[in-house]
Amino acid sequence: MKKASVMDIPDVPKGQLPPHLELQRTRVLCGSDAPTHSEGIQYSGAYASMGIDNSLRLDDFCNKFRVEIIQLTEDEMEFDMIGIDASVANAFRRILIAEIPTMAIEKILMVNNTSVIADDVLSHRIGLIPLDVDPRLFEYLSGNDSPNERNTIVFKLHVSCKKSGPRITVKSDQLKWLPNGSELEMASPNPSAKPKSYTSFTCSQDSLPEFSNKPIGLKHEDIIVAKLGPGQEIELEAHAIKGLGKTHAKWSPVATAWYRMLPEVVLLEDVEGELAEELVKKCPVNVFEDIEDLATGKKKAVVANPRACTLCRECIRGEGWEERVAVRRVKDHFIFKIESTGALPPEVLFSEAVKVLEDKCDRVISELS
Amino acid sequence: MEHGSITDVRSSTFSLMDEDHTLANSVRFTLNQDPRVEFCGYSIPHPSENRVNIRVQTTGDPAKEVFKDALQNLLVMSQHVRTTFDRAVQDYRAQPHNTIGSDGRL
Amino acid sequence: MDPQPEPVSYICGDCGGENTLKPGDVIQCRECGYRILYKKRTRRIVQYEAR
Repeated sequence: MKKASVMDIPDVPKGQLPPHLELQRTRVLCGSDAPTHSEGIQYSGAYASMGIDNSLRLDDFCNKFRVEIIQLTEDEMEFDMIGIDASVANAFRRILIAEIPTMAIEKILMVNNTSVIADDVLSHRIGLIPLDVDPRLFEYLSGNDSPNERNTIVFKLHVSCKKSGPRITVKSDQLKWLPNGSELEMASPNPSAKPKSYTSFTCSQDSLPEFSNKPIGLKHEDIIVAKLGPGQEIELEAHAIKGLGKTHAKWSPVATAWYRMLPEVVLLEDVEGELAEELVKKCPVNVFEDIEDLATGKKKAVVANPRACTLCRECIRGEGWEERVAVRRVKDHFIFKIESTGALPPEVLFSEAVKVLEDKCDRVISELS
Repeated sequence: MEHGSITDVRSSTFSLMDEDHTLANSVRFTLNQDPRVEFCGYSIPHPSENRVNIRVQTTGDPAKEVFKDALQNLLVMSQHVRTTFDRAVQDYRAQPHNTIGSDGRL
Repeated sequence: MDPQPEPVSYICGDCGGENTLKPGDVIQCRECGYRILYKKRTRRIVQYEAR
């Protein structure tokens, strides 16, 4: 920022911050050495000495908050969330990753495994396979519950490789859903006692209305689980239960969920001629373009695609460039990206995440009352 | 759980079990924006214990009421975020070129 | 001691054939004469946590 005499600073209308403070409040300034003004100004009295109220007015928030969807597919979405503080945006991101329930395989009953992959490693691999099931149709399996059709999904994997034949690859589509529950019997010390099953289903899951027309399966059928050599065999049962991403990442409903602040690239002075060509070349993601100025016939640089900026700061490297180009981030504009693992579509995941935050508030409010 | 002084309702520390930065940082934000708050902050005393302590000191009102209002504000904000988001999804879907095709892609 | 010791089946380390041995038998494959035999994996159910 240029040094200026106090006397030269223009009057600021009442109720408004002077431009340099407004810039510091709303933008992160990315200098060549470090970002500055990266903190959010949250305190209600931050600008009290200037007679400006910084407190939260909900109706103001409601008027200014906007959501713009950029892309929405079956498994991925990108949207802009504008007019919200980073703390709340981060809460949504944290909830998406760690606190939305999904179904995942948790228990493996290994009957036989003569493959080269060890039992525990195989179990771990199977646990990470994403299931194509709506977790909202299930309940949690608590410690003293018995596994039943409302809280457990059972899969069977039984593959063997012929003694005289080539090696085979076991893929996730070999896992078969058992809607009637476990087919294995518990070993009991008393042979005359009636053998007990590992699950106690009262009815078949495929007779339930929610699964009769959409059978439970796996999201991807081509995940390699193991490889078998001639004569090798794997026989096991896998039990999936409901859980949260904070317990183990296999229950996380997203591959990843992340946000970034909107980049803002500003040319502080006209960049023309050779400098314009240099600037266009400097940027590895083509934020700038040079256009022919019709009046002078010279090349002139313009900011064509600031959203692509990765904040590499190549454009402000070198003598004099920081005076020509400013790289900033808009503090209350978040580019949010959700990549679902497939159990729930991304737009449902975000709604669920907001609901989780609402429930957290509700819980504490009712505890305090 | 709440630890405050008996004689002074203006300052309290609220100790929340099974919560983390997710709630604490968001509530700190709404508390900070409340002009009745003189000081607020939170800490997680030990990383292996699922607990946050939220400290609220006010300029005169009972800390508990101010804290409750902050939670209420966050709740209302979230509800507004959800309705705005759901409407944005609906509007996006309503555009003819944005309907999902048979291959699941747009 | 058990009255009737149960025969245990082993796998030959060379030809992979199955051999049933009783106590006192010569430890040798019936097919190829190889003297290294491996015990078969149990079919008793082992429970693992998928983590």
